Amino acid sequence: MLKVFLWLRYLHKRKIVLLSITAVALSAGMLIVVASLFTGFISAFEQSAVELMGDVVVSAPVSFSNYREFIETLEDTGDVEAATPVLTGRGLLHLGAGNVRAVQIWGIEPQSRARVCGFANSLLGGDGLPGPDSDDSGQQAIGYVGIGLVTEPDPASDEYDFDAAREIIGKRVVLTTGAIKEVGGAVGPRAEVKRKTFAFTVADIVFTGVYGIDSGFLYLPIEQFQRQLYPDEDGERAQMIHIKLAGGCNEAAAVAQIRGLWVQFASEKLNWGQHLISFTDIETSRRMQSRYVLELRKQMGVLLLIFGVASLSVIALVFCIFYMIVMTRQRDVAIIRACGATSSSVAGIFVGFGGFVGLIGAAAGVGLGYIVIKNINVVEQWIRIVFGLKLWKSSVYIFSRIPNEIDWGWAQVIGISAVAAAAVGALIPALAAARCKPVDILRYE
Amino acid sequence: MYKLVLAFRYMFKRRISYLALAAVGLCVFVVVVVMTVMTGLVVDFRQKNHEFAGDCVVGTDSLVGFGYYEEFVEILEQSEFVEAVSPVVKGYALVSGAGSERNYGFELMGVDADRHSAVTGFGRALHYHQDDWANAFRPSYEPNLPGFVAGIDIWLERDSRSKYTHPSEPTRRRFSVSCFPLTAKGALARAGTDVVRTRTFYFSDTSHSGLAKVDGAMIYIPFEWAQQLSGMGGAVKRASAIHIKFTAGTDLSVGCAGVNDLWEKFKAGKQNEKAAALLETVRVQNWKDYRRQFIAAMEKEQVMLTIMFALAGTTTVFVVFVVFYMIVSHKSKDIGILKSVGASDGSVAGLFRLFAVMMGLSGSVVGSLAGWLFLTKINDIENWLFERFGFQLWDRTVYAIGAIPNRLEPGVLAIVCACAVLACMAGAYLPSRRAAVSAPAAVLQVNQL
Repeated sequence: MLKVFLWLRYLHKRKIVLLSITAVALSAGMLIVVASLFTGFISAFEQSAVELMGDVVVSAPVSFSNYREFIETLEDTGDVEAATPVLTGRGLLHLGAGNVRAVQIWGIEPQSRARVCGFANSLLGGDGLPGPDSDDSGQQAIGYVGIGLVTEPDPASDEYDFDAAREIIGKRVVLTTGAIKEVGGAVGPRAEVKRKTFAFTVADIVFTGVYGIDSGFLYLPIEQFQRQLYPDEDGERAQMIHIKLAGGCNEAAAVAQIRGLWVQFASEKLNWGQHLISFTDIETSRRMQSRYVLELRKQMGVLLLIFGVASLSVIALVFCIFYMIVMTRQRDVAIIRACGATSSSVAGIFVGFGGFVGLIGAAAGVGLGYIVIKNINVVEQWIRIVFGLKLWKSSVYIFSRIPNEIDWGWAQVIGISAVAAAAVGALIPALAAARCKPVDILRYE
Repeated sequence: MYKLVLAFRYMFKRRISYLALAAVGLCVFVVVVVMTVMTGLVVDFRQKNHEFAGDCVVGTDSLVGFGYYEEFVEILEQSEFVEAVSPVVKGYALVSGAGSERNYGFELMGVDADRHSAVTGFGRALHYHQDDWANAFRPSYEPNLPGFVAGIDIWLERDSRSKYTHPSEPTRRRFSVSCFPLTAKGALARAGTDVVRTRTFYFSDTSHSGLAKVDGAMIYIPFEWAQQLSGMGGAVKRASAIHIKFTAGTDLSVGCAGVNDLWEKFKAGKQNEKAAALLETVRVQNWKDYRRQFIAAMEKEQVMLTIMFALAGTTTVFVVFVVFYMIVSHKSKDIGILKSVGASDGSVAGLFRLFAVMMGLSGSVVGSLAGWLFLTKINDIENWLFERFGFQLWDRTVYAIGAIPNRLEPGVLAIVCACAVLACMAGAYLPSRRAAVSAPAAVLQVNQL
């Protein structure tokens, strides 16, 4: 009780203690902001992969037929909620006068894709997807175009002009890609890429908020794309299967099960040899990003280390302030000791006070970090308005918005470290207080 | 003189001063190391962008390009301040290898290898034709075949030491390159379905500009071929840009202003020509503005890091404040005596300001020396960490970064040291004011002694 009374008294009477609280709060707040920004970015990065590709991706080295049979097999297992085929290609898209863009083309089934990832939610048009029974064979060819292909983000605000993008819906654009044809040769028939150009109507605009996807992807109905890509083939073809796992299932076990099913399917239905099967990548979409995520985590660690080292000054500051308090409050210490308090309990008062100061500073730091992170997009917008400096651009940092979720795990670690640092800073002054002799200090002369 | 003596005395006799010195030194050390590395990366990146673009670019973002460029090239070549000029064609191409089912979309740049090497670092970025860049598009295995140069990251993988392993000779491989030919109005040059132009090229060389977004996405072909594939080779030939190198000693802004004047006159002279509308989209930019969107991202990161260090440095200001406050409190008798023998308020404040400057300078020297020592060994430390623990500051297979930049920039060092001195002066301001206004009669009373 006496300890708490003294802590509160020193806190109230010694205004200089507020300086150490401010320093602890600033350092903790800054570290929490850095850690939260990085973990928010990493989490958004991983989530964007899930939104684009589902939970698990089966990626074959070459296109394969009978994908519907494989998808049915997958969906019969309890671990797979839905699966969707993808046929990939590259092309050049002519969007209008003088506007040509290189695009990555995905042939998709819009309906099944909407069950696997957030495709339907990314469409700007609002008309939804074509019905599951719609047959496009006799209809006009359609496609879904990334917003970054039809309009550029505003250089000042980094925001897309959605109305301008919507105006493209319903317009005819021209795509050229490579069609794979079998040609005869001296050593027998071989596949060769022939240029294939066709026009389609923009059915909708895709906006995911991920710059690379929005500015580089074009989605075509898989049957339509397949007719262009493989004009000589009758059956259905895909190159990837994107899979959404059932909630609560074990990812590793599910991947192993999918791998087993694929090996069986490829060897029995596709007649693929072991060599070709071994080149099929079956991986969770999060794990596919692991190399880059690892680098991001490393950079976060390095940055936290740098700012952590720079924040070591907090220990020196607490030391100085507490030393000053101990020197000016020697009479308090002597009276406490004269009343029978042991050296360790006197030391405990000051170490505890250090921890108490650290605790208040850490709490203020967490609060500061929380306010900054939660309002980071507003802060960034104000910096742009006041200083004309656009700090966050989706073309550089992938996402349209700055991740604004606080990382409570790191906030805890940093908060505890702040308390420990303040207690360490108070340790030597506390020892000095513990060693003072009441008889020397309380002498009349 | 007494100020200097007392400042030295406080500095070395008061052990608490060492704490402030250590705090300043630590802060300077961290900032010097981080800012040297960051500045090195930015300077290197700017240099590579300069090498890529030349000094000045007259060009348009439109893929249609602009006409009459040949006449303007002649005008530029006659100018005293222009050393070399290179017109280029830019666009997008669909590329596929023989016997492969895969297509790749790349950015396409059509250049005259000799002219472009005279303006930019194109020739120096080549591997097989580094001494013979005029023949960059002639594959050494069959010089009569049309060759192309690929960005190095398209062709080769970078190892963990940021090195590429080239075969002794370029591999004989052929690729078909397709483009949409566009008319001067931007429409497709030919109606119907077969509207692309395709031509086969053979691998000739790689280009290592050091810019990840260029080396991983750009292929280079001869200028005339790019012009034909993009539909720019009609009656009025078109180009996308003209890259310019100024003569040695020409100031960048003066040179660009000169080019701009020439361009405006040229444009005015062509206003009645058939394709004059395309000239309106053309801009004259120095290399910094031309590559602004890429350079600005790194510069902003440097600014953000600086702001964060300024925040972290606040604690150091607090430390200096507390140390000075303690010293002023403990040395009140010194101050009283000084004032009683005639020292003015300003002199007493000056004494502590001098002490603060000495503190800042000493901390800067200690921090800078430690930073310099660390920087000289930073690559060895990283190599050691990589060999023992597999740790690299940046995974070189992911990032196009070579060695960690460790050249101490005098400008950066001067700014950091000046900031350290200013921080110390800011921290010492209130305590020195308190010392200056203290009354000798109050501190030298018998009951205070």
